[in-house]
Amino acid sequence: MIAALALAGCGSATRTESPSGEAQQKQQKLVVWDWKSGEPVAAAYIEQAKADFARRHPGVTVEFVAQPFDQYYTLLGTAIQAGKGPDVMLFNGGGQIRDRAGALLPLDRYVAEDRSRLAGWDAFSKDGKVYAAPVTLQGHPIYYNKALYEQAGLDPATPPRTWSEFLSGCAAIKKATGAACFALGNKEGFGIQFFLSGLGSGVLTPQEYDDWIAGKRDWASPGVKRIFELWKDAGDKGLNNDGANSTAMFTDVFRVFETGKAAHIIGLMSDIGHWNDFKEFLPPDKIGVMQAPVVTDGATPGLPYDGGIGYAVAKWTKAPDLAADLVRSLTSTGALTAFYAKAGAIASDTTIDVSQAGPAVATIASAIKTGKPALHVALSSKTLDVMGRLSQQLLSGSTTVDKALEQLAASDRKG
Amino acid sequence: MRIAGPSIRQARAERLAPYVLVAPAVLIIVALRLWPLALGVNFSFTGDGELNGTPVGPANYLELTGDPLFRIALRNVGLLVLLLPLAVAIPGLLATFIYLRVPGHRVYRSVYFFPAVLSPVIVGAIFNLMLGYDGPLNSLLGAMGAGPVDWLGDPGIAMFTVVGVHVWATFGMALVVFLAGFSTLDASLLDAARVDGASLGRTIWHVIIPSLTRTIQFVFVTTMIGMLTSMFGLLFVMTSGGPEGSTYLPEYYIWHQQGQMNRPALASAASTVLFVVMLVVGLLQITLLRRAGRQD
Repeated sequence: MIAALALAGCGSATRTESPSGEAQQKQQKLVVWDWKSGEPVAAAYIEQAKADFARRHPGVTVEFVAQPFDQYYTLLGTAIQAGKGPDVMLFNGGGQIRDRAGALLPLDRYVAEDRSRLAGWDAFSKDGKVYAAPVTLQGHPIYYNKALYEQAGLDPATPPRTWSEFLSGCAAIKKATGAACFALGNKEGFGIQFFLSGLGSGVLTPQEYDDWIAGKRDWASPGVKRIFELWKDAGDKGLNNDGANSTAMFTDVFRVFETGKAAHIIGLMSDIGHWNDFKEFLPPDKIGVMQAPVVTDGATPGLPYDGGIGYAVAKWTKAPDLAADLVRSLTSTGALTAFYAKAGAIASDTTIDVSQAGPAVATIASAIKTGKPALHVALSSKTLDVMGRLSQQLLSGSTTVDKALEQLAASDRKG
Repeated sequence: MRIAGPSIRQARAERLAPYVLVAPAVLIIVALRLWPLALGVNFSFTGDGELNGTPVGPANYLELTGDPLFRIALRNVGLLVLLLPLAVAIPGLLATFIYLRVPGHRVYRSVYFFPAVLSPVIVGAIFNLMLGYDGPLNSLLGAMGAGPVDWLGDPGIAMFTVVGVHVWATFGMALVVFLAGFSTLDASLLDAARVDGASLGRTIWHVIIPSLTRTIQFVFVTTMIGMLTSMFGLLFVMTSGGPEGSTYLPEYYIWHQQGQMNRPALASAASTVLFVVMLVVGLLQITLLRRAGRQD
């Protein structure tokens, strides 16, 4: 009996018959892994998606298993290694999904109808095939604290357009309020990713930018070198909050910005680290969004963004049609509208009306049309990992920009 | 001759009995310990990603030797071995004071043990706040005129900070083991030392340490194993392996490669290396301490 119970307990969603059409009808349950469904702000979104799916497939139950985010890819890696696990799973766009594309089902033929309605597909594609449907858009707008601008005698309605204007503004703010220029959390090595993507469009020319995204990356080019020099200079000149290498990104650094200890932060636009999070201390009308200051002539600043998070279907699922349909429900306009309304996330659905959400959202939404993919998302997880450590070395002075770029180029070639 | 039959059977049964009795334990050890270990070692000779499952020979081990991050992790193991005597001496000395009944020794006993019941995650979170760049400790240092120290952000300091917190959080258990060792100590030896007018230092050196050799051995080995295998939680919460990878330990490296970098075979190779390191360090310690014990 114990054995029977154990077997029942260990059963997974993919336990029923063969993958024929008939078997799919018999399939009673789909299991979804993510790190969102347990969060209160996502509750309405998940409910909407479930209801949409239940309307179309009344006999099928869907079970959401919310995993802790910091363990998510470890658990998923184990499931992939074992060749069994959930039918549908959530991914971050970029390296995380591309590294695991071999375990996923290409979704192109299922999501053809959604292609024009949703944005951000590139972050979930590899070798021309789509592996997940985007739920949110993730980007790196530069937020600034309008109250600090006012206190320093700057006009909050016209943020600086060039790097020299930006630096003189920061100096004025420092003098008047004592606040740092940038809120930077680089404990996990994420700070450099935000910096590279947030400021990159003001440094690289459009051609260099497009080449980078297309995989033709010249790490020795003056533009790329300039970005890393800016990173080092910002640290050396005290533009960042103190102790950036020991300040955690998601738990600490947003608080530094919210509480007025820094004037700018390169934040996010999905469901955390953005205006909706900041509003506890900083009212929406005091939060501005600016474009990257122009550092080199010929650069045309734009919003860096990609698909943020998206749901994918496991290769091993016994009911691919059903699972893909669940992904479609999870990216339906109704569900995504609920996610936007509750979490403040910029959803991937371009048909949602965001005009009521305040000036910061309006600025971001207007920049989506002209925006380009973020620079760091094009890099492999391995190179991002190396970049994180090198960025800490640059801040502490234990390596030079040239040496760091050599190592990054080597890692990028391999990875 | 008729009597010989049963007696031979009986002798054979008696000869076989120990094997039969030991068999279940051996089977469990082989099936649940050695077999998975062998599987793990075998897996470390296969590839990751597109080469998943394909034999690649010693490629993973070669990659490990060339990976600066893994070299830092091994160097930090060396650092832990160097810091080990300190991690054993602290609970040993405090236990001695408690045994010698310093005023308030009952209070100290519970105070010292208290952190041992806290989870490393809680301990890490508390010390993250305390040691933050703008945290209370640096404010205190500032008030005393000393400059702030980036306890968790300076690559030269972070590892010592984390080890210090680990020792703070775990020495209570070693203290209890020492106190148990003291309960077997022959009190007449201490009385004799006292009558002869021996100082506290001499009493500790000539009476207490020789009498507690076995306890000290035990604490040495368990503390070392604890440092190598139980610091993950603290590292995860306090430094995430940083800054600059300076606080990596093999265990954290294994987790990082397996979960974050999607390299399970490389992680298996690293675990095999960690296993061998633990075995060698453990055996060396036991041999050294046994020799030291004999001399006394």
